[in-house]
Amino acid sequence: MARDKIYLEEEFPSPLLQLWHNFKETPVVMLGFSCFVFLTILALFSPLITPYTSVENHLDFLLLPPAWHNDGNVSFLLGTDNLGRDMLSRLMHGTSLTFGLSFVVVLISLVIGVIIGSFSALTSGIKSSFLNHFLDVILSIPSLLLAIVIVAILGTGLSNTLWAIIMVLIPQFVHITRNAVTEEFRKDYVLASRLDGASSLRILYHSVFPNILEKLISQATLAQSSAILDIAALGFLGLGAQIPMAEWGAMLKNGIDLFYIAPWTVYLPGLAILFAVVATNLVGEGMRHALKVSKEA
Amino acid sequence: MLTFTLRRLNLFIFTMFLLTLLSFSLSFLFPGEQLINISGQVNATPEQLIILGEHYQTQSNVFQQYFAYVNMLFHGDLGISMASQLSISTEIMNFLPATIELTLVALFIAMLFGIPIGFIAAINHRKATDNIILSISMIGYSIPVFWLGLLAILVFSIQLGWLPSAGQISLLFEIEHVTGIQFIDILLSNSPYKWQAFQDASAHIFLPACVIALAPATIFVRLARSAMMEVLESQYIRAAKAKGLSFRQIIYHHAIRNAMVHVIRDVGLQFANLVTIAMVTEVIFSWPGIGRWLIESIYQRDHTAIQGGLLALSAFIFIVHIVTDFIYAALNPLARESRHGT
Amino acid sequence: MNLLDIRNLSIELKSATNPILAVDRVSLTMKEGEVRGLVGESGSGKSLLAQAIVGVLDDKWQVDADRFHWRGNDLMRLSLDERKAIISKDVAMIFQEPMACLDPTMTIGEQLTEAVDCDQLSGFFWQKNQQRKENAISLLHKVGIKQHKVCLKKYPHQLNEALCQRIMIAMALAKRPILLIADEPTAAMESTNQGQIFRLLASLNQLKNMSILLISHDLENVTHWTNTITVMYSGQFVEAGTTKQIFEQPFHPYTRALIDSSPKANMGLPAKSRLMALPGSIPILQHLPIGCRLGPRCPRAQQECVIAPKVQNYHGHQFSCHFSLKGSY
Repeated sequence: MARDKIYLEEEFPSPLLQLWHNFKETPVVMLGFSCFVFLTILALFSPLITPYTSVENHLDFLLLPPAWHNDGNVSFLLGTDNLGRDMLSRLMHGTSLTFGLSFVVVLISLVIGVIIGSFSALTSGIKSSFLNHFLDVILSIPSLLLAIVIVAILGTGLSNTLWAIIMVLIPQFVHITRNAVTEEFRKDYVLASRLDGASSLRILYHSVFPNILEKLISQATLAQSSAILDIAALGFLGLGAQIPMAEWGAMLKNGIDLFYIAPWTVYLPGLAILFAVVATNLVGEGMRHALKVSKEA
Repeated sequence: MLTFTLRRLNLFIFTMFLLTLLSFSLSFLFPGEQLINISGQVNATPEQLIILGEHYQTQSNVFQQYFAYVNMLFHGDLGISMASQLSISTEIMNFLPATIELTLVALFIAMLFGIPIGFIAAINHRKATDNIILSISMIGYSIPVFWLGLLAILVFSIQLGWLPSAGQISLLFEIEHVTGIQFIDILLSNSPYKWQAFQDASAHIFLPACVIALAPATIFVRLARSAMMEVLESQYIRAAKAKGLSFRQIIYHHAIRNAMVHVIRDVGLQFANLVTIAMVTEVIFSWPGIGRWLIESIYQRDHTAIQGGLLALSAFIFIVHIVTDFIYAALNPLARESRHGT
Repeated sequence: MNLLDIRNLSIELKSATNPILAVDRVSLTMKEGEVRGLVGESGSGKSLLAQAIVGVLDDKWQVDADRFHWRGNDLMRLSLDERKAIISKDVAMIFQEPMACLDPTMTIGEQLTEAVDCDQLSGFFWQKNQQRKENAISLLHKVGIKQHKVCLKKYPHQLNEALCQRIMIAMALAKRPILLIADEPTAAMESTNQGQIFRLLASLNQLKNMSILLISHDLENVTHWTNTITVMYSGQFVEAGTTKQIFEQPFHPYTRALIDSSPKANMGLPAKSRLMALPGSIPILQHLPIGCRLGPRCPRAQQECVIAPKVQNYHGHQFSCHFSLKGSY
């Protein structure tokens, strides 16, 4: 005869699962997360979903207002711009440009920044102090200014923008990795591993990285929201993606001249940027909040 | 206090060294002739080029070239602009004060609104006020500044007509350009319409400053809130409560001082962010500042101007950092001691 | 008449999942001029109890009691603010890490003058300022700090812990309290400084007839300086009585174990034998045992111990245990 379990077994989930658990609890954050996932899917599959391509000109339907206006047309849900291109398709295509590329940019600079940061944390002495000061100086130059200068060196265009933003984000990741790794190295569990004879690389990989992973993720979401804004800002200034690419900042720049006659060409890309940044920030906030709660419990 | 000052001075010198190194290497990295990039003389004849070459020591190795460049910097010669053929240092001196004015006003507005709201949110933690403030600040933090500027112009200048949308002051007023900072210039000039000029300049600066101030204000709200929450949890606040002080007394006399100390240190770090936003806003509002000049130089591929502008702007930001460090040390007795991190 | 009469005070942590009773029906009485020790391990809820008496607990704790009388006034019927107003006039508290309890951005002089009671001053405001300063200086003298000029200008981080604790006592004395609650006042100090603080407290008790509630985890120190002792374990009331009764004839197994574990009691042990201690450790808040919380660790526990024992009184020596050691004396 099977005995009932009188005492329920306590299950202690791993730290990452615990994080996910805490993350799930705030409804606003889950809303942001679902928007984030929606944008990611849109970014990946936009060429398949859009009704028209982003560069197709419909010369009969120039400057159509959105479908809920009197003059609007249902086949162009969000209107068209001055060259007859459908706004909805361009916005969706822009997701993969502005949002998707920001993701890629953050990933690349995360990897490079973490590698450089961990190596700089391992060294000490004049070399590291020089590197620290160098980093501090670079961090004190505003990010957009640095990106603009790098674009001026490399030339305009979307790929150069990406390199510029990668180079701007790397110091941030280096800084945070270096601080986190130095702080962890002072702790006793690292000392215990070292006394066991582990080499620095092994300590780094097995002991330290899992513990700083959370800080890195939260910094990555911050970096992503700033990357979206920077890509859009460079597009707006004409230094990034060029027309006819459907990047949101470039669309905004295009719309300024038509501001009075076709204000939706300005409202819509801006709202798209706002939406993407808010979703990213919600996810980031939720992550940081979950981190704090799991540390307290 | 003396060691603190010396250490800051040391950091400043080191930073200037790195910045000049950076702007010197830019002349090599930009496309085009290195000598033309560094001096800006696009229309020079070959003889003038040889003379220039001696000035900048292009025949010697890189170190001597660098020292020649720094030497020219000390004499105030940043080269001439490739587009306008005017001396860059005069152009910077013309435009930098306007940017200083705009950024300082924006910083002031951001601190004036951001910090008290952050404190209020922390005091009402876990109640509805806190959540409302947090959500509004999240949205404010996510709005792209160029979009906000355009919308602000649309609503306030065009539809409502309350505020002007471009320039520093209406062209009707003839204020002499003494320092470049409009408000000081108005006070120094002998125009009979001082008060109206003052009002006009304030109307012109109000909209761009508010647009710039929004994102930093939301960051300050966050910073002030977390600083105040940390202070309210601390031991001395609890001991003060047990001492029998009223809530009001505790907040005004103890909590705010301690929270401000934490906040001020981060204010300096946010200034770089603020200047970035200011650059884009200057373009939208046609504000005659160094940000707009720099961006136009980039459109025109004016490499010398980019070098000079980068140097000037970064030096300005760094000086503001150091000033806030001093203010922080003045407020917080602990920071004056020598045991303090980088 | 009892100064402080608390019966069955409970402090509950209001959390969404399940409420936790951090302090479970503890009773405490204090007479005038008495020095009472409140002893227990860290986690036994003694600091919570002290903070509940003074009224500085956060919103997330809920305080309930059958009886909470201060000098005859029933305080449970009043609102929290009124309770705080009455108690803060006569009760003062000093805390564990004195340097952390002082505002780091203000000088000692400023903080001390802030603590001076305004009602005792008279005259115009510049006269009041002068009187405040004089009051502050006399307070410093009362706690034994002679060089007041040097001390008043310094910041807290420039002084050592014992000096900061004396300043905290000075600030507590400013209100002329009748009861001083000392929450582990010497935990952060070396033993020579500890002696200074205890001597100061003892002299205050003798000269001003001030009652002191001394909270500590160090049983030996407490037995030297107190008249009566209350012992707590994991938020529950264990034993209370005069120091002599507790030390010589502990009725509760926990008190017995505490006294046995001190070095003085173990002098007669043979070499290389184990020291006497209870197995296990204090239960965490999420996993509190039902009934008597010492149950899992107690050597005399039996099935009856899942029901919380009632308080029994024997010649003023109170204890709550089903299987006490009373019969063995």
